[in-house]
Amino acid sequence: MTSLIESTAGTADAADVADRPAAAKATWDAFRRNPLGILAMVLLALLIVVALVAPLLASYPRGHGTAILRPPSAAHWFGTDNLGRDVFAEVVYGTRSSMLVAAGATALAIVIGVTVAVCSAYFRWVDGVMGVLVDLFLSLPVLPLMILVAALVGPSLQTIVLVLAFFSWPEVSRVVRSQALAVVRLPYVDAARLATGSPLWIIRKHLLPAVAPVIAVSVVLTASRAVLSAAGLAFLGLGDPNSWSWGRILFEAQQSGAMQEAWWTTLFPSLAILALVVAATLLSIAYNDARDPRTRKD
Amino acid sequence: MRRRAGLMAGTAAVTVLTGALGACAPSKKAAESGSGGGAELRIATTTDVVNFNPLIGNSRTDYWLTNLMYPHLLTVGNDGSKRPSLATKWGYTNPTTGFYEIRGDMKWSDGTPLTASDVAYTLNAVKKDKPSGTLYGQLANFSSAKAVSPTRVELKLSKPDATVIPEVGFWGNVVPEHVFGKAGSVAKFANNANWVSAGPFRLTKVAKGQSYTLERVTPYPFAPGGRPTVSRIVYKVYPDVNTEILALKNGDVDAIANALPPAQVQPLKKAAGITVEEVPGLGYAHLAYNMDKKPLDNVKVRQALSHAVDYDAIRKVVLQGQAVSTGSSPIMPVLKQFHDPSLQEYTFDPAMARKLLQDAGYTADGSGKFPLSFRMIYSLQDPVTAQWATLVRDDAAKAGITIKPQGLERNTYLAKTDAGDYDIYAGNFAIMDDPATNMTLTYLPKGIINYSHVDASDLSTLVTKAQATTDVNEQKKLVQAAAKLVHDQVYDNVMYTQNLYVAHRSNWTGFVVKPSELLSIVDPQSLANVKSSS
Repeated sequence: MTSLIESTAGTADAADVADRPAAAKATWDAFRRNPLGILAMVLLALLIVVALVAPLLASYPRGHGTAILRPPSAAHWFGTDNLGRDVFAEVVYGTRSSMLVAAGATALAIVIGVTVAVCSAYFRWVDGVMGVLVDLFLSLPVLPLMILVAALVGPSLQTIVLVLAFFSWPEVSRVVRSQALAVVRLPYVDAARLATGSPLWIIRKHLLPAVAPVIAVSVVLTASRAVLSAAGLAFLGLGDPNSWSWGRILFEAQQSGAMQEAWWTTLFPSLAILALVVAATLLSIAYNDARDPRTRKD
Repeated sequence: MRRRAGLMAGTAAVTVLTGALGACAPSKKAAESGSGGGAELRIATTTDVVNFNPLIGNSRTDYWLTNLMYPHLLTVGNDGSKRPSLATKWGYTNPTTGFYEIRGDMKWSDGTPLTASDVAYTLNAVKKDKPSGTLYGQLANFSSAKAVSPTRVELKLSKPDATVIPEVGFWGNVVPEHVFGKAGSVAKFANNANWVSAGPFRLTKVAKGQSYTLERVTPYPFAPGGRPTVSRIVYKVYPDVNTEILALKNGDVDAIANALPPAQVQPLKKAAGITVEEVPGLGYAHLAYNMDKKPLDNVKVRQALSHAVDYDAIRKVVLQGQAVSTGSSPIMPVLKQFHDPSLQEYTFDPAMARKLLQDAGYTADGSGKFPLSFRMIYSLQDPVTAQWATLVRDDAAKAGITIKPQGLERNTYLAKTDAGDYDIYAGNFAIMDDPATNMTLTYLPKGIINYSHVDASDLSTLVTKAQATTDVNEQKKLVQAAAKLVHDQVYDNVMYTQNLYVAHRSNWTGFVVKPSELLSIVDPQSLANVKSSS
């Protein structure tokens, strides 16, 4: 820490870099001792792999088939739907679009949310305005508004991504801001202010790395919430009719009136949603526990 | 007619909102014995009543409930022909004067006799106040109505129109003058309390999101001995057809008013204690190509699109064989009197579609795709259309045409339809009972359901003549010629007539089945005659 007292940006950087691998290793050591965390990570990785290699697992479900509403069998692992399409293929390609929606919506929400958060924390005058805006957004009834916007604009992948991002960033912003506020008051940030006149540099070099763990947790949680919301919208018929998603499989099962006869049309997409949301939640809890010295017991 | 379009579009927007309440509504309660006339019939529906005023109602449940209180002058047979109901005779005394002779034995539930004055009042009030229901749409050439005796009403027309008497008689509900007359404008009267009914039932209790209770009204001339066989009808609101089917199986309801999804017909036919009734279809499903949008004004492009739909697959897979081809004609085979069997359906032939597009001057790219992309709107509350919309897209892709289906929430769908904001409109009409009337609404330039935006002088001439003539044979020739034009020029791509199925508990008998989901087994004359055997 001597280098920090010397108050040169370069040495502060060096200390940061030197500390980071040690902290990361401690976090990883703690994380890997948590079987639930590992399980969640494997599950998420599996879903990502399924999304990436979907064409190798099944051919794209389109048109119609002759075997209508058949239960799971060797030919159709997850059975067939009311138009004779393979539910397994629908779930596989649904993974792809669910992941895409999650990634798109999360990326946008994180970029907006983090930008607003660090600016609010660093520039006090911004905080007043953005604080009110974030409070306003957080008090809105999100689901009805999402339904309204999606219904008015019309369903498409872009609409869904934009709608989800639009309603997700305030939460990211609130969480990251509270962490960032604590950081900007620390002496080393004051020291950095003396070293440079560029707030951007301080935000990039000091503030963002300090809040990175919170951002990581936000990414995972926002993604899982985005998948849930997207499934909800698709179930209401407001998903993209041109791409398969887990919510669309559920919506079509409901529309066909076959929900109680053909349990397989709803069980497998529901399990996929459950797997993703549980895995994301467990992963973020495990990561949070692992990086916190108080809970990792090292 | 707007209501027709809306009605068939389905129900789920309200359903979604009312679902949570509806789900906890039913409690298992065995129906009372019907032998003593004290039974209660419980019917499932998926929407609440939006309007209790039959002149402005626009959901299926509105129609089903208000029909039990406000009679129609005419009803309809399975072939679309008009049958007596409140009116016993109807017709024209000269080209601009029509008449109805009505029964003299009907009374409103408060004891006031139902007379020709009520009929005349209803028609004049609708003409004056312009409520947004179907009836007003039928009154374009109607000037005024006058009760010339307690049982005869005469209608003056502004110009000869053979469609007014049958269509107004069928679509219009007659309302009590002594109640509606005090309320001011019939377009604004909510009619949400103290209902007065001409039978067979009268609404007495409303629990929004849960149930609607109607009590028996006597005398009702269409019931045995003038007394409806059940004392009470309870409409119960359920979130969707899945929960309705579950409730029927559990015995929580005795019948489902909504048509069954095609895929559920066979399983329910096999279910113990459930009877499935076939309801003849009297409407059609169609794709309307918006001719205001280039290049859909080009007949070759429209013909190419017509050859790029696998109609057989849609009927076989989506509709489970419960639909019949109309030969790509707007006059369905069920309208035996008018149907022209010489018109053949467009074949599913992607190669032919490609050739037509090449003839129209389009060239496909290396991947076989033409530079043509169309946005097709449909209502998300219409589950059958929502299912075949994706098949239409996939079939068109085989001909190198891009179709982008856009499923919309019902109100957005209606707004976009009104604004003409679509390339292709996919939907269906519940009842298209009379070709001349339907064609004036679908194919005349200002027709209220002219979704193709067709404005062709030869077609307009034929339709206008057909509307004006009261000679049936002459009218048949004219509407058949018009149908051929529609077929050849693809002014409308009519795909099929769907036969519907409804289900009830097997211990209930005596249902009278009438065409379309609007009438089916819940028509007043049917519900006045049902019996429970246990």
